Amino acid sequence: MNDTAFGYLLLAIGIGSVLSIVYAVTSHIGSPTTRPRPPRGVHLPNPSALPVIMAAGGALLGIGLAFRADDQPVANPFFAVPGLIVFLYAIVAWVRAAGREWDETERGSHDDSPGH
Amino acid sequence: MHSADDALPLSHREAGLPTPLVGMLLFIASEVMFFGGLFATYFNARAIHVGEWRPPSSAPELEILPIALPITIVLLASSFTMQFGVWAIRRGDQRAMRNWTLLTLVLGVAFLLGQVYDYTQLGFGISDGAFGTVFYTLTGFHGAHVFGGAVGLTILVARARQGQFSRQNHVAVEAISIYWHFVDVVWIALFSTLYFLR
Repeated sequence: MNDTAFGYLLLAIGIGSVLSIVYAVTSHIGSPTTRPRPPRGVHLPNPSALPVIMAAGGALLGIGLAFRADDQPVANPFFAVPGLIVFLYAIVAWVRAAGREWDETERGSHDDSPGH
Repeated sequence: MHSADDALPLSHREAGLPTPLVGMLLFIASEVMFFGGLFATYFNARAIHVGEWRPPSSAPELEILPIALPITIVLLASSFTMQFGVWAIRRGDQRAMRNWTLLTLVLGVAFLLGQVYDYTQLGFGISDGAFGTVFYTLTGFHGAHVFGGAVGLTILVARARQGQFSRQNHVAVEAISIYWHFVDVVWIALFSTLYFLR
């Protein structure tokens, strides 16, 4: 078996593995009716710079992938590495911010007065 | 006795399309733009490389047999099985819905494996000229979308096994089916463009 065929075999195994994990996790989570329901009312996320930061990180990563020298096999590390770090940071920070906002909403510290 | 819904202001009640379906339709709208850009790339590169728009001379010509046409038929068949699953759950037949969805998943994975095998037989790579780059970019992104659909189908099968879908509550099945049909339509366009529009 040559390297290419072995690579594609690994890809096929990867597809099967990911689908198996998805199946196992979904089966473990259980019915959505047992998950917490969002509090009543209208809730908007707070203003955030994270979408812009994530876009900037993605753009840097794309530049790194697109503009590379001949001796750089995958990407230009001067752009791609900072881009990847910023992008991943933005994802984590966004998920944490969403979690915080959910908790604040559940505790009822938001303005839920009628008429807005 | 009032239900929780009655207490909400009129503007907050459920009306029209379910939110997950609206989200899926908006997502597909963005995907149309994404694939539109990829097709624009194809035709732009093709227009620039007039007379030399083919695989590298060391590789064979692109042929629909023995792989591309069979995997196309497999993907087309999977759209039918998906829709049979949707119709089954609209009737309230959970078992048939689960089986049709599982068959759709098997066909989707078969398509992916067929595409992977096709890549090993093409004789050219992504860095072999503009044709190779565009070919692998288009089919690769489509393959990634099929994989995303396969993940969605896996979630449907897992939830169906737990009896989470019913005649009244199956919006996830509808949403994933719309996505699956979209991926199928994109492949028909891709297949026609790559293999017939020489």
